Amino acid sequence: MNLRNNLKDMRVQKNKTQEQLAGAVGVTRQTIIAIEKEKFVPSVKLALELAHALDAPFETLFWLEKAEEKK
Amino acid sequence: MKQTLMPYYLSRAAFSIAFGLLFLATGSPWWGALLLGGLLLALFIWAPHSGRYAVHPEFGMTALRRDERTQVINDRAARNAFVVSMLLLGAIAVLAGASGAISLSLSVLRLVLLAGVLTYFASDLWLRKTQQ
Repeated sequence: MNLRNNLKDMRVQKNKTQEQLAGAVGVTRQTIIAIEKEKFVPSVKLALELAHALDAPFETLFWLEKAEEKK
Repeated sequence: MKQTLMPYYLSRAAFSIAFGLLFLATGSPWWGALLLGGLLLALFIWAPHSGRYAVHPEFGMTALRRDERTQVINDRAARNAFVVSMLLLGAIAVLAGASGAISLSLSVLRLVLLAGVLTYFASDLWLRKTQQ
C-alpha cells in the first residue's frame, strides 16, 4: 500500500504558499515540497497537523492506495 | 508581541567571539582568529535561511530545530557513516592481522575518521537531493 496525498491541490485551494503552510506546522518548506511530491511520508502527527492547518478532512488529504501488482 | 530571532543571533555572535578568542589563545595570528570567528558568524546568520532547519523563534537561543524529514536524513547519514567506518576498521584489522602487524599507525585511524565524516556529508547531500 502506498500513501498518496492531495496536499498541493488542497493548499492552492486554501490560498496558502508552501512557506505559510510550513510555518503553520513547524517544518521547513523543503519538507512540504517533499510531501507534495510524495517523496517523503510524514508521521501521523504531521499529517494530522497538515489537515488541521488546511482545515480539511484527513481522509481527503491522505489516503492509501494499493501498490500495482508486478506481473 | 512578535518574537524575533534576536536571542539566537546574539548567542551565536557571543559563541563566534568566544571561538575566535580561543583560537587566538592557542597561538594563532589575530587575523586568523578574526577570519574564523567571522566565518562562523556568517554560517550562523545563514543557517535560518538555508532551509535546513525549521525556525521557531519562541525557543529563543535554540530557535533552529530539525523537522522530522531532516531528522530522518540526519539519522540515515549518521548510520551510513557508522557502517562505512566500522567496515573500514574491520578490513584494516583483518589486513593487519594477516600481515602480522602488532600495532596500527594513528594516521590510519585518522583516515577511517575522515572516511566516516565524508560519508556523512555525502549521504546528507544525496538524501536531501533525492528526498525533495
